[in-house]
Amino acid sequence: MKLLGLVMALLGWLIPVAALTMTQSTAARMVVTLLGIAISLVGILVVLNKAHLKKAIWKP
Amino acid sequence: MIRMGEGLKRFSWIVLALLLLCGLPAWAQSQSAASSAPAAAAPPPGPAMDAPLNVKAAQPPSADDLAKGDPSGTKTGTVNDVVISDPNKGLTLADTVNQVGQNRIAINFVWTLVTGFLVMFMQAGFAIVETGLCRAKNANHTMMMNFMVYGFGLFAFWVCGFALQMGGVAPAGTLGGAMPLNSEHTLSLLGKTWGIFGSRGFFLSGTTYDVAIMVLFLFQMVFMDTALTIVTGAAAERWKYVAFAVSSVVLGALTYPLFANWAWGGGWLSQLGVNFGLGHGYADFAGSGVVHAVGGLTALAVAMIIGPRIGKYNRNGTPNAMPGHDIVIVLTGCFILAFGWFGFNPGSTLAASGNGALRIGSIAVNTMLAGCTGSFGALLYMWMRYGKPDASMSGNGLLAGLVAITAPSGFVNTVSSAIIGLVAGVLVCLSVEFVERVLKVDDPVGAISVHGTNGLWGVISVGLFADGASNYGGSWNGVSGPVRGLFYGDATQLIAQLIGVGTLIGFVFGLSYAANFVIDLVVGQRVSAEDELAGLDIPEMGALCYPEFVLKPDSMPVGVAMSKATEMASPMRVAQETA
Repeated sequence: MKLLGLVMALLGWLIPVAALTMTQSTAARMVVTLLGIAISLVGILVVLNKAHLKKAIWKP
Repeated sequence: MIRMGEGLKRFSWIVLALLLLCGLPAWAQSQSAASSAPAAAAPPPGPAMDAPLNVKAAQPPSADDLAKGDPSGTKTGTVNDVVISDPNKGLTLADTVNQVGQNRIAINFVWTLVTGFLVMFMQAGFAIVETGLCRAKNANHTMMMNFMVYGFGLFAFWVCGFALQMGGVAPAGTLGGAMPLNSEHTLSLLGKTWGIFGSRGFFLSGTTYDVAIMVLFLFQMVFMDTALTIVTGAAAERWKYVAFAVSSVVLGALTYPLFANWAWGGGWLSQLGVNFGLGHGYADFAGSGVVHAVGGLTALAVAMIIGPRIGKYNRNGTPNAMPGHDIVIVLTGCFILAFGWFGFNPGSTLAASGNGALRIGSIAVNTMLAGCTGSFGALLYMWMRYGKPDASMSGNGLLAGLVAITAPSGFVNTVSSAIIGLVAGVLVCLSVEFVERVLKVDDPVGAISVHGTNGLWGVISVGLFADGASNYGGSWNGVSGPVRGLFYGDATQLIAQLIGVGTLIGFVFGLSYAANFVIDLVVGQRVSAEDELAGLDIPEMGALCYPEFVLKPDSMPVGVAMSKATEMASPMRVAQETA
């Protein structure tokens, strides 16, 4: 799960960067960039964090 | 006689005709030369560059005048003080022109150095803010992390960080060029050239033994150190000192310089405008992204890996209050930081002379205003939500406003600055609650929210509020014209900023997480539970910060300690308890 979260974080960065050469449209670039940020955030705050919380010291 | 007369007459006519034939073109030529004479004529000869100037017209004070002293200040700093290269010739035009050029660079050197010294002093502010927000039993440990991070970071940056970041940044015009920094490693990918890292300036040796590069190094180094010291706050009270040392070196030598190169060193983010037509490329005037978001996201990575402090969360996951031990030094530290920020933002022009550098006044006022409205935002939020104006969150609101205005400070007007700061003040409160209650990531000082969240907000706000009034030498990141955000007609600038945000979240967080995960495997990031309960001053540092104080006994059960802590908690903490 940790690895998946990390991969999602990196993927969310690479997608909009790679998309720069695929389209010239401002709107399309904006959408892809926001999508990439969302993927990264989900990867970090949901997937990766959940993996850490599984064995949190305060859990019974 | 008649014949003679006729012959003479005929001769006269012939001569006249010849004169006309030959004379007309000659007259025409002379007329044409006369009409074009003003344009074609060489300009009147000016004084030769090496010819001595007559300095008497400048009325320099005599030696006798100077010997009488200069209480009015009118005799000091005259033509007598212009440096003469050849005493035999006296003052020449070349001497005067060289002096003008050197004066401009000297002003910029002094400005950059003095503002760098201010930023260096921010380390003291960070140190006491973080220490004050921690418990007394960890004060020595927290203070020592903030103290030594300066040395660890400086060393790492001197060895390789600076070269990776700025090794290809030349020419740095405001500092006279810094031309030896002329090697940027690039990748050719997707039909474009992508700057990845610099490679000149390792150990500041060889050709980089250069006065301009020394100034640039000092200024960039103190910025880098600010990013490093952010992490110590989020991991305070449970971070093993050796892990902190290794982690700081990695951040100062690799993670920070890489992103800083991409944004400031001529790397690919700064070229988004030139290569892809995205505004002026990623624009981060003084480092909301480069410094604060890098520090804040690394803090998030470390805090996730290291886990929360013992007693921070109950078994059902609700957070407990763990108030700091000295609000006086917390707020004093906030003031020191606000003072140092006048170095951070206005100093980032790297100039006080030429190329629009006089915007330093506007940048300083923007900085003030955003800090002010940031503290307003946090104070009002806390007051309205919890019934009391919370001191530590007001301090964090001030810092959040300052963090957020760091990137846009050079591009926005005062109204935008006030809005950016106000949003940051509210955002920091929301983010602290989100990180603590939803993510369940323990951040004793709120570093993730102050620097991470608001660093990202600052980057985005450039893409919204940049008003197109700034003009630093006519272009920014190689794109002509001033930077404009979405509200001033350029949506593509916002995309460049969002790609920067994506890079910070995806790449910088990813790299920081991976590096600190490896450090955790090799040396271990977290102290033992016994050491943590005892407080890290004795187990980690060998000495108490306050040896004559009676500290709260730590052997008591965690639940009891927590209930006592709750009694002393701030309104927000009490509200958290009852929530």
